[in-house]
Amino acid sequence: MKRKNAVAFAAVCAGLSLLTACGSGSSGGTGTSNNTAGAAAYNAGLNNVVNPSTKAGGTLNYALSNTPDSTDPGNTYYALMWNFSRLYARPLLTFKSAPGADGLKLIPGLATGLGKTSADGLTWTYTIQSGLKFEDGSAITTKDVKYAIERSTNYAPSVLPNGPTYFQQYLTDPTYPGAYKDTTPDKMGLKGIDTPNDTTIVFHLQHPFADFDYLVTNPQTAPVPPAKDTGSNYQTHPMSSGPYMFSTYDPNKGFTLVKNPQWSASSDPNDKQLVNTINVAFNVQAADIDSRLLNGSLDVDMDGTGVQTAARARILGNKALQVKADDATTGFLYYAALNTQVAPLNNVDCRKAIMYAVNKTTQQTAYGGPIAGGDIASTVLPPTVSGYQRADQYAATSQPNGDTAKAKSALQACGQPNGFSINIAARGDRPKEVSAAQGIQEALAQVGIKAQIQQYPTGSYYSTYAGVPNFVHQHDLGIILGGWGADWPDGFGFLSQIVDGRAIKAAGNSNLQEENNPQVNQLLDKATQTSDATARNKIYAQIDQIVMSDATILPEVYSKALLYRSPNVTNAFVTEAYGMYDYTQLGKA
Amino acid sequence: MITFIVRRLLGAVLMLLVVSMVTFAVFFLVPRIAGQTTDQLATQYVGRNPSVTQIHAMEVKLGLDQPIYVQYGRFLKGIVAGADYDAGPDRTHCPAPCFGYSFKNQQPVWPQMLSALPVTGSLAIGAAILWLVTGVGIGVLSALKRGSIFDRTAMSAALAGVSLPIFFTALLSLAIFRDSVPLFPDAGNFIPFSESPGRWAEALVLPWVTLAFLYAALYARLTRAGMLETMNEDFIRTARAKGLSERKVVVKHGLRATLTPIVTIFGLDLGLLVGGAILTETAFSLPGLGRFAVNAITNQDLPEILGVTLLAGFFVVLANLIVDVLYAVVDPRVRY
Amino acid sequence: MAAPLEPLDLASPASEPGPGEPAGGTAIQGRSLAEIAWTRLKRDRWALAGGVVIVLFVVIAVASVFLKSAGVLDISTYHTDLIDHNTDKPLGFFGGLSLSHPFGVDPQYGRDMLSRVLVGSQYSLLIAFTATVISVVIGVVMGVVAGYFGGWVDTVINWLMNVFLAFPLLLFAIALTGVVQGTNSAFGLSGDALHITVLVFVIGFFNWPYIGRIIRGQTLSLREREFVDAARSLGARGFYVLWHELLPNLVGPILVYATLLIPTNILFEAALDFLGVGLKLPTPSWGAMLADAVTNQYYSIDPEYILVPGLAIFVSVMAFNLLGDGLRDALDPRSH
Repeated sequence: MKRKNAVAFAAVCAGLSLLTACGSGSSGGTGTSNNTAGAAAYNAGLNNVVNPSTKAGGTLNYALSNTPDSTDPGNTYYALMWNFSRLYARPLLTFKSAPGADGLKLIPGLATGLGKTSADGLTWTYTIQSGLKFEDGSAITTKDVKYAIERSTNYAPSVLPNGPTYFQQYLTDPTYPGAYKDTTPDKMGLKGIDTPNDTTIVFHLQHPFADFDYLVTNPQTAPVPPAKDTGSNYQTHPMSSGPYMFSTYDPNKGFTLVKNPQWSASSDPNDKQLVNTINVAFNVQAADIDSRLLNGSLDVDMDGTGVQTAARARILGNKALQVKADDATTGFLYYAALNTQVAPLNNVDCRKAIMYAVNKTTQQTAYGGPIAGGDIASTVLPPTVSGYQRADQYAATSQPNGDTAKAKSALQACGQPNGFSINIAARGDRPKEVSAAQGIQEALAQVGIKAQIQQYPTGSYYSTYAGVPNFVHQHDLGIILGGWGADWPDGFGFLSQIVDGRAIKAAGNSNLQEENNPQVNQLLDKATQTSDATARNKIYAQIDQIVMSDATILPEVYSKALLYRSPNVTNAFVTEAYGMYDYTQLGKA
Repeated sequence: MITFIVRRLLGAVLMLLVVSMVTFAVFFLVPRIAGQTTDQLATQYVGRNPSVTQIHAMEVKLGLDQPIYVQYGRFLKGIVAGADYDAGPDRTHCPAPCFGYSFKNQQPVWPQMLSALPVTGSLAIGAAILWLVTGVGIGVLSALKRGSIFDRTAMSAALAGVSLPIFFTALLSLAIFRDSVPLFPDAGNFIPFSESPGRWAEALVLPWVTLAFLYAALYARLTRAGMLETMNEDFIRTARAKGLSERKVVVKHGLRATLTPIVTIFGLDLGLLVGGAILTETAFSLPGLGRFAVNAITNQDLPEILGVTLLAGFFVVLANLIVDVLYAVVDPRVRY
Repeated sequence: MAAPLEPLDLASPASEPGPGEPAGGTAIQGRSLAEIAWTRLKRDRWALAGGVVIVLFVVIAVASVFLKSAGVLDISTYHTDLIDHNTDKPLGFFGGLSLSHPFGVDPQYGRDMLSRVLVGSQYSLLIAFTATVISVVIGVVMGVVAGYFGGWVDTVINWLMNVFLAFPLLLFAIALTGVVQGTNSAFGLSGDALHITVLVFVIGFFNWPYIGRIIRGQTLSLREREFVDAARSLGARGFYVLWHELLPNLVGPILVYATLLIPTNILFEAALDFLGVGLKLPTPSWGAMLADAVTNQYYSIDPEYILVPGLAIFVSVMAFNLLGDGLRDALDPRSH
């Protein structure tokens, strides 16, 4: 009965899709939460495990449209790799493998429980399970965890450049030269971490940091045995601590994982070891991935960013396909940064003029429409990030086509009644972003602002162009398009890199709008020292509101992705931690 | 003969050297002309939040701080004698021919290219057989039946064939034969021949046909033109006058004279394709050298770009060399 | 891959002056040859059709410049009310055909396709023409100099052409245009102007050896002709002979190969767009529209969107090929 309802709903949904009534809204347009677990229905994978099964055996085929930044757990910043690497590299803590909001809960990985912090908040202590083994049968100790952090991007960026560097920022001894230049005999020279015995690890912080448990979910805390570390070649065969281990690796074609015989389900109740082999193919065209997914010769689109336009049209136009799709919230915000240093946008009213003038509907369409693109955004924090509070200072949702009158009076206020000229920066190889830039260009033209689109390659967008303030100023890049996802799903993880004035860098800058409001900086510091979660979330909401008043971030959409859930796959659901299917759970039907 | 071959070999090596120099210079200079500093170049390879010291360390590690001739010298030395690289815990040796380590994935370039080669090779050779047979066959028939319906139809199709962008035909074939009528659901999903010849062929049928369609059109036009010209030559008239059967005239005399230049062109085409059938590989996402090259370029990965350009140049030069030598064997006058 | 810039069709032997047939003659003979060629061309209906289509395209391209500034052709206004926001697909029949939008609208934006495809002809033709001019100028100068002066000059130029031919052309073009993409102003240009200039130079600069080789061959054979000897014996100096005696006789082959190079260049430009390193939206170039259809896979949900620019490319390329073929036949005395 319930199942019938769900199907009927899907049919209505397809019919109404033109009116954008379905799939939008905070509920995710589902109504499937009361759906029986396991049935395939549209959005069933958001709140239920679809095709639950304990069937073992078979081969799962993944494909990726590019190559991952690295398969080395110490050297990756891709959400898909943080999700996937848990199959062979278990961090201290991880996110619970469960659909819905439960997926944001932290649970022990190697550790036996969450971290214990001292009264002054300056140390965090973890205990790991005893008797854990690497794939070669050698014991896993906390020394291997400490070594893994010592060798990671935090301290050895010239060898492993790609990962985040939070440990280096927060732990004491920030000038530690990294494991490869460590001259102590056992290479345990980092003073910021102690390993009093083989199962205990203690982190020493420079300042209290309430979110520390989130940091140790990073694959950088997955153990690496010093004797087996081959530096930049380690990615070809990381020593497995999880249910699978590497059998082949080709940097351009992909890799194969097989079962790790040393892994035991009893020590790792969160992960599953169902299929015999996992194949990952690199560099497959996105459109090809879709076609192969739909015809069944491929099981998982590893990118986890949703199907492309053609497949989207096929899925939304076909009920039989639609029940195999999930419209997942990715936790990403797509936005236009309005640079505070480029004239005339150094005047807040000129920025407000843009905030009002832009047609949010065309922005939404540019990113893929209400279902595949996402909901029109009106705040910096997306709804899945804790700290989000509903607000709409510029009538983005109530007047989605833009408010020309208000834009014009803002232009008056900033002394540019006839408009001005400005450049828009976008990544030329991201068609959605270029579409968004065209939409902004067209909307601004209607209030007399002449915008020219400048396109740059994604690979060096942050390092050489949009992320280099000098370049931005010289080329009048007043409007810079970008997307941002949290490194961990709370306000600090989302905001710290993009609104903190002290995070502005000469290159590789993520604070594209160069927001440097002392009030915001202070509030961020206050949040890290506030241990009460509710109080913390209030601070994040306050920061969000200030940034919106500064009119430096023009939110476009809270990103969504239309994921296709192949019927070949068992135990499929979307983990909210990464906004894609939980790769640790999948089996083959 | 030996001196001829040696001379040609030396010429080929010299040519490759020049190709490598020009490529190196262009990729060294163009970003700098476009206003990038070595700092900015290095920034691309140090992750998301690099500090100034990290950037500088990467600059030194990649050798970007060195003058152009030092960098080029290192590159050549690596190819001839191998090189040592800092992999972190120790220095790994990269044996000759060492095309350096990729800036992006920090893996040696040479094995990556070797693993892409069979894909491109399979694509190029399969397509080559197909277009040679159909293209030349149709060309000869068209020439012999000049003005017939067959000739007109074939030549119109050939003209259409050379006028259509290859990625357009590629996408069309995918849309039809994989997505609408799934005859080849696994098109483009390369499986090595040694693993499963059947699936190898299945993945490649569409790319073969697409690529061969373009070249067959070209070869049909070429063969027809060549054949028509040959059939007007004196020696054909002589052969006919001798009373040879028309069949013999066509096959023994006409075809032979027509095919010699075609084979030359064929050699060069094949050389060029083995170096990377960029558009076809991109359209079908085949993980061959062409795709490798495009990825290298999007990632601005200099060692990879240099490696693949040089390898592609090598195949062209090699094809030239083989064609030259074969010519010299067939026709001793060429050796002058 | 060689396909989109396939030079070999140009190397068709049909135009080599045959033994015993004067390829040209004195000025008077030259004029008469032109007359003969014209009479022949007039009889070749297909070539004429090609010519008419080309003229039509040129008229459209020029007219669209004025129509756009007059506001008759509107390439930028969004008609989002004509679009399904979830699939980007234009509402209505076949890409949203209607009286106000006879070619429909483009997916996602709803901009008028007729305006865009007409204005787009500017880009394709401009780039293809100018690139061809560059190739022809360099190729003719190099070819004539090499063929006429011979000796070490010939050796050097010939070798240079071989080096160029050994370069993986498309690869190099992608890499070069890709690097320049990153800067939005260089050489005093910015935006579209910069990208068009880069495209023109890259395409033009890499294609000259094909023309160069042919012209060199023609010059070599002309050099030994009586009329050149006669001019020399009358005391004419090198450049006088080049300009007044050789060049007029090269006009025929230059015309033919230039006509055949233009369609290759149209395809080349489209290929660069397809690979994401050429012109990009919102610039309404045909290649950019195809690239958009490819990257967003509109080709399978809105076939009209790929057919319009695809057919525009196909028809213009075909027209140039037809005219080129016709010219070649008309100028080649033996072909009838």
